Order: sequence, then C-alpha cells, then structure tokens
Amino acid sequence: MEQFFKDFGESFYNNLIYEDRWLQLLEGLGLTLLIALLATALGLALGFIVAIIRSSYDMNIKGKKKKGFGVFVMKVLNVICNIYITVIRGTPVLIQVMIMYFIIFGEAQNGTLAAILSFGINSGAYVAEIVRSGIMSIDKGQFEASRSIGFNYRSTMMLIILPQALKNVLPALGNEFIVLLKETSVAGYAATHELTYVGNLIRSRTYEAFFPLVSVAVIYLVLVIILSWLLKMLERRLRNSDH
Amino acid sequence: MTTDKEVLIKVEGLEKKFDNLEVLKGIDLEIDKGDVIVIIGASGSGKSTFLRCLNLLEEPTGGKILFEGTDITDPQVDINLHRQKMGMVFQQFNLFPHMTVLQNMVIGPIRLLKKSRKEAEENAMALLEQVGLSDRYDAYPSQLSGGQKQRVAIVRALCMNPDMLLFDEPTSALDPEMVGEVLDVMKKLARNGMTMAVVTHEMGFAREVGTQVIFIDEGVIVEQNKPDEFFDNPQSPRLRDFLSKVL
Repeated sequence: MEQFFKDFGESFYNNLIYEDRWLQLLEGLGLTLLIALLATALGLALGFIVAIIRSSYDMNIKGKKKKGFGVFVMKVLNVICNIYITVIRGTPVLIQVMIMYFIIFGEAQNGTLAAILSFGINSGAYVAEIVRSGIMSIDKGQFEASRSIGFNYRSTMMLIILPQALKNVLPALGNEFIVLLKETSVAGYAATHELTYVGNLIRSRTYEAFFPLVSVAVIYLVLVIILSWLLKMLERRLRNSDH
Repeated sequence: MTTDKEVLIKVEGLEKKFDNLEVLKGIDLEIDKGDVIVIIGASGSGKSTFLRCLNLLEEPTGGKILFEGTDITDPQVDINLHRQKMGMVFQQFNLFPHMTVLQNMVIGPIRLLKKSRKEAEENAMALLEQVGLSDRYDAYPSQLSGGQKQRVAIVRALCMNPDMLLFDEPTSALDPEMVGEVLDVMKKLARNGMTMAVVTHEMGFAREVGTQVIFIDEGVIVEQNKPDEFFDNPQSPRLRDFLSKVL
C-alpha cells in the first residue's frame, strides 16, 4: 500500500510538476480557449449570415416567379450557401483542419490561425442550420404583424424574428459550442500546442498515460461544466417573457 | 356620418391568383374616409385574401389599389411607408411575445415615426387607458387573455396613428365571452370616425356600425349595400342563402 502511494506521488510529480509540465498544460488550455472562442465567434457570424440568406431565399424567392438583379444575386448566394453546408457537413473536421494547414496555409505555417479558421468555418455550417431552423419555427403571423406596422424585411428580421428564433435555438447552439470546444482537440494535427497535444506530448516524454490524459480529460470536463452553466443562466434570462 | 366625401382607397379590378387558383376575380371598391366597410362571405370566398391585398400582405396579380391617391401595387412605391398608415389587426393577434405590452406598442412609433420614447409611451398609455388595459402595460402577451391580447393588438395598430384600420376576423379566435369586449373597442373606434375594413362573422356588428356591407363569393363582390337594406332585403339568391345559414 505504501509502495502504491509512493509510486502515485512520483508519477504525479513526473507528469505534472517536473519541468513545469502543469504550466505547459495551462498554456495548452489557453490556446484551446483562444481557438474555441475565436472559432465560435467566426462560426456565429458565418452561421447567421448563411441562415438569413437561406431562409430569406426560402420565404421570398423559392417557387415564385420573381425576376430582377436582386433575385439573381439571392439565387447565387443561396447556391453558394448550400454548397458550403454540404461540403462542410460532409467531410470530417480533422481533414478540414489538415487541408487548411497543409494545403491552404501551405508555407505560412501558422497552425493556430489555420485551426481558428477551419473550426470557425466548420461550426458556421452547423450554426447556420440551427439558426435557420429557429427562423423557420417562428409563426408567419409575426412577419405579417411586423410588416403591417411598416417595418421592412431587414428590421423585421432584426427586431422581431431573430430575437425569438435565437431564444428557441439557444439549447441547440449551446450544444454546438460544447462540441466545438472539444473538437479543437484535433488542432494538434496543425502543429498547434493546444491542450490535448500537450497532454499527449507529456505522455510521450514520461511513457505514462494516466496523469497526462486524465488531467486533460478533467480540464475539458470542467470547461464544459462551466460553459453549460453559463448557457443555462443565459437561457433563464431570455425566458423571462414566457412565464 | 361624414358629409364631404373623401376617397381614401380605391380598388380597381383587383385580381389574385395562387398558381392556377383564381381567388379574386376583379374586385372594384371605394372606401371613403370614415367608412366602416364590413366584408362577409363563406370561408374560401376570398374575403380575407381581399383584405390582405389592401396592404399588400398578399401581392395582387392584377388590378390597382389607389391608397390616398397612390397606386400601391406599383413596385416602385415604398409599401412600408403606406403600411404605416394602414394598421392591421389579425385573427391570431400576432403580438410580439418577446416584448411587453408597452414595448409592443412603442416599437413602431419609435423606430418608424422617430418619436421620442417618452412621447411614444405617453401616447401608448393614453390609448391603453381607453381600452381599459393601462394596468397591464408591463405584462407579456402570454400573460393576457385572448380578449386582452386583441385589444392590445388594436392599440398597437392605433399607436402608428393610421388613416385606416384593417381587421381580419378579429373575434374569430376568441372565446365567446371575450368577443364583446373587442367589439366594444371596435365600435368606439367606428363612432370616432376611424376608417375601417372589417372581415367578420359578427352580423350584429355589421348592422350596428357598418356604413357599407359587402358580400364576397367566389372571388367577386356579389352584393354591396347599406346594412339595413343588406340584411333586410338581400337581392341575390346566394346572399339570401348565406344569410339564412348564419343568422
């Protein structure tokens, strides 16, 4: 028994304390958070734009015999959005990261930026479909009431539809953020020293798997628990009007 | 009621087709300032479609709508400006559920009419007072009864200070005991000279405050008359048949 505790302590020291390995993990965590945060922001921006284009097309142009330059532009944009969603959802995120890093960035060798871009673009496709489902879930009467007051299409979207849609899809969006946070664990393939990469690096140095991997797992778990709690708070705030 | 006639809206040969289904087959109608036009007809007759064409929620496929002298079916016309002067009240109320009663009422005046928040809120509170809901200004729509919702919806339309109000079956989604409170508000409006076009099944309302009653069947106006004549002495067999079923 005594031997077990001694080994355990030694292992703890070797994997987390020696050569400031806890500090390396902390730096990895920082990078993971940076990638996740910026990718989420990019994903949200892309997702909203794509969702608005797709749902505007569905509501205003699809199946109607409208003509004109604006209609043509919307049709082209809609096709682009569809291709984007199909390609992104149809290929593994790891392949997307590697394509971004090795092919698109090529010589540039900026792994962190490549990771942020590819996770952001990846997340955007999912956010787009989530937000679109939210927009489509709002009763047509809300559009009509807003338009009948005199609001144009854009104001109707911004003031009436999106606030309600967002509230409806917040749980699904939260889920997407959590998935994204954990997906950044493959950013190591783009030579990014994020959390998982660091954990694995320590394992390869100490030839011990337990402490590095379990520490990494615990850190992710704590992050997700915090994130879930924040989302729950936000949901509660937005639910004010439901009573 | 009004002595000098002033045409507010003039509809000429209005047509609406959904794909191959002809819903409106050429409707002509003049609404003067202060008129209360009550539109009745069986479901599927095109009466709601007609009303929704008046503010272009449905885009007509033919004909003209002259509102205050402007043909609003012209694509060059900024329909949003004209809609501000043509309030609409819906069967399903369509209040904005994420806003309080007061927010529902001031969003239009503040954003579109560029009124100050203070001015918009004072005006809204005064109107709420008139429909007996001033104590509910802070409630969310989900906390109101159907009749209260519809009264708020009417006030929301009024807050834009419109020249005309469109009512699309305003009492059809209400429990029977709440119909009266909404009709009372509408009657008060009519007596105060508001120009109204009302699609409804409330024949009592039509008779009491309507200046003209029109009967739409299969996409055309079959009969149009003053309420007394309309109900007591219907001319067309189709209207007689309809009235015998609903009265």
